[in-house]
Amino acid sequence: MAYALVALGFVLALNAAGAVNFAHGDLVVLGGSVAVAAGAWLGLPGVVLLPLVAAVLAVVGVIAARVAITPLAARPPEATFVATIALAAIIEQGLTVEMGTAPRTAPALAGSGAFALGGLAVGRQPIAIIVLGSLLVLAIWFLLERTQTGRRMRAVSADRHMARAVGIPVGRYVLLSLALAGALAGVAGLLLGHQFLVAPTQGAGYMLKAYIAVAMGGWGSVPGALLGALGIGVFETLVSAGFGDAWASAALYLSVLVVLAIRPQGLFGEPVGRRA
Amino acid sequence: MRPLGVFWLVVLVLPPLVALTLLAPFGQRMVTLVGIYALMGLGYQLIFGHLGALNLAQGALFGVGAYATALLAPSLGGLALPAALLAAAGLAALVGGPLLRLQSHYFALATLALASLVNLVAVHVEALTGGANGLASFTVGLPRGPVLLAVVWVCLIVLGSIAAALVRGRAGEQARLLRQAPLLAATLGIDGGRWRLAGFVAAGALAGLAGGFSAALSGVVSPEATGFSIMVLCLTSVVLGGTRHPMGALLGAALAVGLPELLRDFQGAWLLAYAVATLAVVLWAPDGLAGLVDRLRGATPSERTAPPWPTPRAANAGPRHLRVEQVIKRFGGVEALAGVSITLARGEIVGLIGPNGSGKTTLLNVISGLEHADHGRIALDERPITSLPAHAIAQSGVARTFQARLLEGETRHDELARALSTGPAFVLLDEPAAGATDRERDELVETLRGLRDAGLGLLVVDHDIELLSRLCDRLVCLERGRLLADGPPSDVRADPRVRASFLGLDAAA
Repeated sequence: MAYALVALGFVLALNAAGAVNFAHGDLVVLGGSVAVAAGAWLGLPGVVLLPLVAAVLAVVGVIAARVAITPLAARPPEATFVATIALAAIIEQGLTVEMGTAPRTAPALAGSGAFALGGLAVGRQPIAIIVLGSLLVLAIWFLLERTQTGRRMRAVSADRHMARAVGIPVGRYVLLSLALAGALAGVAGLLLGHQFLVAPTQGAGYMLKAYIAVAMGGWGSVPGALLGALGIGVFETLVSAGFGDAWASAALYLSVLVVLAIRPQGLFGEPVGRRA
Repeated sequence: MRPLGVFWLVVLVLPPLVALTLLAPFGQRMVTLVGIYALMGLGYQLIFGHLGALNLAQGALFGVGAYATALLAPSLGGLALPAALLAAAGLAALVGGPLLRLQSHYFALATLALASLVNLVAVHVEALTGGANGLASFTVGLPRGPVLLAVVWVCLIVLGSIAAALVRGRAGEQARLLRQAPLLAATLGIDGGRWRLAGFVAAGALAGLAGGFSAALSGVVSPEATGFSIMVLCLTSVVLGGTRHPMGALLGAALAVGLPELLRDFQGAWLLAYAVATLAVVLWAPDGLAGLVDRLRGATPSERTAPPWPTPRAANAGPRHLRVEQVIKRFGGVEALAGVSITLARGEIVGLIGPNGSGKTTLLNVISGLEHADHGRIALDERPITSLPAHAIAQSGVARTFQARLLEGETRHDELARALSTGPAFVLLDEPAAGATDRERDELVETLRGLRDAGLGLLVVDHDIELLSRLCDRLVCLERGRLLADGPPSDVRADPRVRASFLGLDAAA
């Protein structure tokens, strides 16, 4: 479920800015780190930190895009790739310098430990992740599909010239999408940070998972990205339960290669068509 | 492209000479490392800089080279280094075929997945790779110290000069076209797939060689050699130095090795500084530092001289007829071409007219292979070309120009010249007169007549029916994907259906 939040943020930023943001995984890690730092400093529980982390990362997300994506809009996509990879390295190295490479634990959302549910021991954190994740996904869906703001956001990502032509202030909506993407990364960082700890080098891994989810689900499609992320989560859990973590990752990458070799346009095709 | 002048040649040769005569072993080691990274970057420039494909597996191929050397050195000795090159190139060739068909972001993803796989193997297949501890004590028989330095730099100087010469020549021009206008390149007979595969494999080979050298230098190989940080280092150093400048890889590598020494007191901060510098270069100096240096010392790219007008192929060579038979092309539910048949012979000019959306450009696209017909047959004499890829059709003698599709700094003239440079028997021209002045139109008519008299067959799409009537031997009129009329200009213009549909005149008038 937390992957779904990562992928959701990734695809929102992708649609808004029209470019792959390789730093998205590092924004997630940054979210985790902010949670760690704020948790240690303020001593507040995860629930209270959540909006704080989301707000901080929303600002960071916008700044990141302003620095490494929007100035390069007129250049070939490779330029943005490189710029955001550099940005990712900046965040990763900055965090390493600041907090060292040792993993830290982010505060739990609703207390740690487990409780019994119908005879099964269920961890509080996984439940919290699933509940909160589902709520957020629902909220985003409602925003995008059922409100005027969401319609405009979709219009901007579908065709920004047309959107501008019908009088939508494009810049403002791009900014809104990027802020939302950043906030989602922050929330995901906080959620993942308790269970899998926070270390500066995790960014590339999160990024790769989100990238795979979006590519498999259909480039730029929001429900596709969610499906892709859930698929990856289920796939990894099943394979790692049977054969161990390393095999799970290996099988995942291998299947990505096979899928791309057979269907170069992703599993569900690409809704936006080729970007020539 | 810039030639590799004396200035850069000195920059290239000086470091190893100075290192060998003046520097202590530690300094020599650094210079060797610069050479190694520069080799990897040189390869990366080929695939990323010149062909524009964001390959994220270069670091992993470097690691493959390192492991291959470590595994093979005990039995092969110094030959383990060329073996490392072959191992990396072989892996690249193996996976390159399917991967290189992918569009930009999918290609990046696929190479990233490949790199992650290689890294997993390095960490987890302990029997082969020694797991997280890696491999050590394999360096007997490998060149080390000053010898290694000399070998690395000789390789770099030789390969760097070859790359610079290639880029300056015809190959560089073709790569530029592929990068900036892939469709245009295909219609000129350039096989983009083969180019990218060659670039990918060559890049992999250089990465493998560099990896082998690095194993010889450090004496240990660990999974870090396959990690993403090497990839990021390679990417950032090439961008920093200049993605297409012949010396970009070397400058970037020198910074990658030098900066950590300069900023040694700040520990991890050098990577931070490096990443910040890379971002700055991407934003403000797209030609990289090498380009910047060239600008500062006033060396500008040599002026391009206008190429001579290419001579059309001899009138008797090549196919005599281009036949389109019952071609159907659908887009979704719409039949853009609903069974079109036309024939074009050498030595004639046929004008193709019809209202907007009648299928004129689609017909050109289907003939030149940019789109493929759903039904029907296209043949040069008796040889079918219906399902050939665009570059193969161009090579068989069909060239084309595009509607208003000029590269930067080009004229109408250049476009036609480029199409003719492939030595075609037939040329398809899409609105060659759009936006031209009367005078330019007259020149165009003269030029095209000259080509016809030299024995070429021309198919010209245009809206200017006066121009086409003057120019063409025959007119063909399309409407909604169907052939409305085919014959001498005066007949076609008099045809009541053509008058109604295209000329907008009442049939009775």
